Amino acid sequence: MNRAAALKTHRLPETAFIALATGRKDSDAIRLLREAQQSKHTMLLHAIAEAAGDADPANPAIAAFRAGYELLTRVQVTKPAAWTWLLSLPHLGGWANDGLIRLDQGMSPDFAYLACAAASGAVRGSVPFELDVPIHDGHVLLPGLGRIAVSRETSASGEPAWIRLSCDGSQLAAGDRVVLPRATLMPDYGLAKPGPPWHGTPAARVIADGLSWDVLLATDDSYLDRYKLPMAVGLDADQLERWRKRVRSAFEVLVSQHRWAADPIADGVAVIVPLAPNSETDLITATSPAAFGAIATSWPPDPVTLAETFVHEFQHIKLCGLLDLVSLTESGEESVYAPWRHDPRPASGLLQGVYAHLGIVRFWAAQRHAESRPDDILRAEVQFARWRPTITTAVDTLRRTGCLTPEGERFTELMRAEGQRFADEPVPDEALKIAREVSLDHWLNWQIQHMAADAAATASLADAYRAGEPCPGYDPSGIRIRKDVLDIGPNARSRLLNMKYLEPARYRELIGDGTFPLTKPDRLLLNQATEAAARGYRDLIGESADPQPEAWVGLALALYQLPASPLADAFASRLPVLFAVHGCLGAGYDPLDLAGWFG
Amino acid sequence: MATPLQNIETFIPDLRDVPLDQLAKYGTSPLAHSITLYRERLKKNGMPLNNFNARIRKLG
Repeated sequence: MNRAAALKTHRLPETAFIALATGRKDSDAIRLLREAQQSKHTMLLHAIAEAAGDADPANPAIAAFRAGYELLTRVQVTKPAAWTWLLSLPHLGGWANDGLIRLDQGMSPDFAYLACAAASGAVRGSVPFELDVPIHDGHVLLPGLGRIAVSRETSASGEPAWIRLSCDGSQLAAGDRVVLPRATLMPDYGLAKPGPPWHGTPAARVIADGLSWDVLLATDDSYLDRYKLPMAVGLDADQLERWRKRVRSAFEVLVSQHRWAADPIADGVAVIVPLAPNSETDLITATSPAAFGAIATSWPPDPVTLAETFVHEFQHIKLCGLLDLVSLTESGEESVYAPWRHDPRPASGLLQGVYAHLGIVRFWAAQRHAESRPDDILRAEVQFARWRPTITTAVDTLRRTGCLTPEGERFTELMRAEGQRFADEPVPDEALKIAREVSLDHWLNWQIQHMAADAAATASLADAYRAGEPCPGYDPSGIRIRKDVLDIGPNARSRLLNMKYLEPARYRELIGDGTFPLTKPDRLLLNQATEAAARGYRDLIGESADPQPEAWVGLALALYQLPASPLADAFASRLPVLFAVHGCLGAGYDPLDLAGWFG
Repeated sequence: MATPLQNIETFIPDLRDVPLDQLAKYGTSPLAHSITLYRERLKKNGMPLNNFNARIRKLG
């Protein structure tokens, strides 16, 4: 039978495309993305099934896969809601994605996982079954539901041990010893005292203003362990309750102030993956294109930060879902500046960032009117003022790369127009000043670290300056963006500048007690003694035999704070060249005189 | 100004109403083509097994 003609692809209406680009009334569009993800997971499952068809049927993992596939076929037909639930799990997306990659790398996918997933779907849908599943660390995993403690025994060969699951629709037996009512096999919402042998996946069920959100706090599935930091496994009951309360509070922030985001997030985010940060003061958040519907985050310091994280990361989720359907960028060699990153980004990365920040701008545009404490108001106003202009500049950068497809051109134009809606909203002067200073600091540090002036041109300029000749001019096209021009590591001054609005009380404390490790000019700059700071940086640069990149950035920041001058413009626009030429000249040369020579 | 688009035909076949045990019948069809396309995009994008879009904010 030739079915080729009957198979259509998902279609994305123009209205859905616009809704996704702008973030306005996008609930229907997100439903389309979710449906497409289900098809994608089915498609990848089929690719893995084809590989299983070529494998040795006597292999226990292959046998488990085939049994799982057969069970899933029954679940799909008899309990479509359970099938849809399973297909929507980011766990399954992660497994299918990794399975395809492993196949392409000549390795075997984790075939046996499908038996666990099928059992989970069948349990969810009360579908009777019997099949063998693998035991890992004494547990049988039911993705999306939890784990059954069965035994700590492993086979003598070191291969995974297996156990038979039998379900009659009302009870589930694992081997001969464990029998559990099906109704108890659900996530752990913290409502009943959990106990072995069933360990429900931690979850939160939150309701605010009539809107409910059911979300897993999952660290029990290796296919969700796909972020740069490890999952925060082993959270105890108290820690889990803290997470539930924090999620609830953040959701209340969204529902009360950002309903536009609350509805789609409640609909589209099924899993939060708590992460273990390297430091308690670091906030790490992430998403993965392979795990649609999952947001990973370390412990958020407050509900508003978590609410912003949900908005930010859900933007990535939406864009990843869209990019599964249509290409917005073509691959290109060029890396560019992204105002929120310390490293140069390809066009595709910048697109992700600007889309995320469009959501962030909208979030802070509203949140700044909801805050009541002065420090919280300052944080919200600076966040809004800092990110608002980046939408237009980043879209301009994207278009300049030439990497956008026609759909990408359209998408970014819609984003730009959406960003410009906020352009005329008033912001208090203090917040604007901080936002501009932090943005400039980021841009200057990035230039020093990633923009390399042409060596021959730099040497020629240094020779001309040393000889007292007029500046011959320089060609900015000779500047190359590279990841590794200069590694100057963490910068205490930049961290303090950010702390000024992210944690104002801590900032005042650190500046006040004078113990934070800063250079003398840095301390002068942060205490608004700008002219003295500029002199300090100038002396430091002029007298040192070594390059002083942080002092160059500091001098540029000080000049920016002083009344407008050509020197300030020269530093802001030509810093990599000034730095490079001065490096050729060596000690004893005045950086301000050199900047003035450039004109 | 970029031109408005019509409905977009996407890369992903609509498999919502296709029974799993019927998928094999699409072996040489747009389904196989879509899988190939997806594989190529994974390779082109250099998608790592782990991590993406990490945001790191250092405080304190």
